[in-house]
Amino acid sequence: MNIRCEDREKIFENGTPAEWVALEAHSANCAVCAEELRTWKSLSTAAQELRDYSDTPSLWPRIERALVEQAAARKHRAERWGWLSFGLGFSLGWQTAAAATLVLILTVSAGWIYLHRPTQVVQGEQSLLKRPALAEVERAQAAYEQAIDKLAAQAKPELEKPTTSLQANYREKLLVLDSAINDLRAQAGMNPSNAHVRQQLLAMYQEKQQTLEDILEEKR
Amino acid sequence: MGTMGLALRWEARISSVPREREKRVDPSEDLTGRPSQTVAPAAVTAATSEDAELAARCRAGDLAGYEHLYARHGVRMKNVARNLLGNAIDAEDAVQETFLKVQRSIASFRGQSSFVTWTYRILINTCYDARRSRMRKKEVANDESEDSPRPEPRAPGAHPSLRMALERALASLTKHQRDVFLLYEVEGFHHAEIAGMLDITETASKNTLFQAKRNLRQVLEPPRGDSAAGAR
Repeated sequence: MNIRCEDREKIFENGTPAEWVALEAHSANCAVCAEELRTWKSLSTAAQELRDYSDTPSLWPRIERALVEQAAARKHRAERWGWLSFGLGFSLGWQTAAAATLVLILTVSAGWIYLHRPTQVVQGEQSLLKRPALAEVERAQAAYEQAIDKLAAQAKPELEKPTTSLQANYREKLLVLDSAINDLRAQAGMNPSNAHVRQQLLAMYQEKQQTLEDILEEKR
Repeated sequence: MGTMGLALRWEARISSVPREREKRVDPSEDLTGRPSQTVAPAAVTAATSEDAELAARCRAGDLAGYEHLYARHGVRMKNVARNLLGNAIDAEDAVQETFLKVQRSIASFRGQSSFVTWTYRILINTCYDARRSRMRKKEVANDESEDSPRPEPRAPGAHPSLRMALERALASLTKHQRDVFLLYEVEGFHHAEIAGMLDITETASKNTLFQAKRNLRQVLEPPRGDSAAGAR
């Protein structure tokens, strides 16, 4: 085999035994390659300085003790959780199949429960008016307010200039009722679906209606 | 070409501890007086069967199997760990931790590599973990004294100045280059074994070793000055 100086590094990196022999032969007649070869090999030789194969007598007993302790701890743990590891006796394929089956059963069960869950209305929702009912209530309220306003217009002369103490009392009562009605309307504006507020508002309107009717009755 | 940056010749300084390369084919060994040995097929078969038997014994929880593993590889494992970690105490801890990890995970060993190679891979990873852990502690403690390995007594015949020079030079290599150099040149593993331990290809192992030696040569070599120019 014919070797040139340019082949040297390539042989250092990944030379075959035959190439190394050829490099040796080439180095016999080439001072540069001979020096490079010597230096290269010196690194391998020097690396032996980092080799210390002296034994530490106490090391194996230490390792042995640790191995025994670990084995005992693992055995203890295995006994405690033995009922969970019964499947370890089976092959990995069977264990995987069992795990997949379990996951499938859980998924199907969860799906069935979800699809057949009871459709319960939450208690809190009962006190809330649904959208169509709310529209109907508001229409009725508006009509009621118009009717009461008509009554109020008829009773207006007596209320502006009360001639008796009873009329004066009616006037005071109507002022209180109007104030309460304004508050309840404000609350209903902020929470339109609250049926409780609507019922209180209706009671106030009824009271106002009754008061106005009493005033007009007295007038007659 | 100048001489290396150390006063004595390499051959004059090497340790008297015999190098126990059993099977590796290394052309350079012929030139340093060591016989180059080829791996006989029968020897390979015997080694494989012994390796499988050892793995089976360890898997069965036979403590004597672990003792056999230690008897065959304990000192070498400690040497690998010491060269990776820089001191004997950490190295012994790493070897112990490796045996415990082997015991814990022997059930997962599928025989894709040899049992011994697998054990060394665990050892090397344990050393990496220990090194990382030490770095973290050092960051916390800001202890600069741990930067360089502590000097400690070595094997009889070892030349301290050469060892220190080499350790300093090795510190200039990349982690990968240093590991491959140590495993190949110091411990005498084959490239195939190193590939298994470091999870790289055999070609990558060869290439990394070449780069490592080229870098070491540059570090250890004195700058080419007037003497080289004068020689021309």
